[in-house]
Amino acid sequence: MTAINDIKAKFKTGDVIHGPARVQTPERIEWYDSAMLSAATGGLAQVGINIHTDDEFAKSQGLKAVISDGMMMTGYCSEMMVRNFGMDYLTRGELRTKFIKPVYLKDTVHTLAKVLSTEPGENGTTVYKLDVWCENQDGVKVTDGDAKVTVGAV
Amino acid sequence: MLGGFISDLEAGDVFKPVTYVLTAFMASEYAHGVEEAWEWYHSDATPTGRQMRPPTMIHVDKMRILEANCLKERRVSGEKGPHARVHYEYYARQHSPAYVGETLTVSGKITDRYIKRGRTYIDYYLEVRTSDDRLVTTYTDKTLLKYQKDGE
Repeated sequence: MTAINDIKAKFKTGDVIHGPARVQTPERIEWYDSAMLSAATGGLAQVGINIHTDDEFAKSQGLKAVISDGMMMTGYCSEMMVRNFGMDYLTRGELRTKFIKPVYLKDTVHTLAKVLSTEPGENGTTVYKLDVWCENQDGVKVTDGDAKVTVGAV
Repeated sequence: MLGGFISDLEAGDVFKPVTYVLTAFMASEYAHGVEEAWEWYHSDATPTGRQMRPPTMIHVDKMRILEANCLKERRVSGEKGPHARVHYEYYARQHSPAYVGETLTVSGKITDRYIKRGRTYIDYYLEVRTSDDRLVTTYTDKTLLKYQKDGE
């Protein structure tokens, strides 16, 4: 089998990394919930009624309507980090996400990062620090976060 | 307090660890759910020649350990607690990849429980290790136990 090659990131301070924009559809929300449960059980799992799938239940819990699971935003941010930092992120990466505003059905979520600094690390490595976030179709930040990756030889 | 609802957890509670074997299905299915199309999670076509799991699967490990330690509220089994919780903060540090076929042990504890702006939060610390004690991920998490404020 042919290996999919690793990536060696080369960014400079101030660079902005754009991930894809994703509309929050019922299918996407179901994919996540089902996948989380399936990964936890080891077999295909069905999603029940919860704040991500049922408007009435969400309202009974004080929410305006169904919201996307915050871990979907974390997944989008992490995917962007893997796509740009490869194995360095998977072996030495850090990611923090804070779910600061609800994400509703039909919202469009755009994933972004900005390189805050690149500094020499130990043994010839480069340490990247980044702001990472998701914003909605109005440019409002819904998930805020940060990341750190040590790139290069150890 | 362990053994009850998640909302019964208190600072200092140490979870009973959970051990499982990571399967190709788990890695690939979760990767699909978070739209991780990167091939490394779906086959052995990786730089190391072994299929690995997405790093955010630490959150599934949180669900696993809650399932084993909070017996009155098991979301994975479809048993809800009295109130919906809302995840507030995720922070994961990766130390090495977890590969399909490896036996993983999840351990951890509740590090804090507090009230902020009228709502109760709990903080977790979790870590995942392989059977040969290789550290995979360390993780902290803040979760709001009930979105609705009391009296609303």
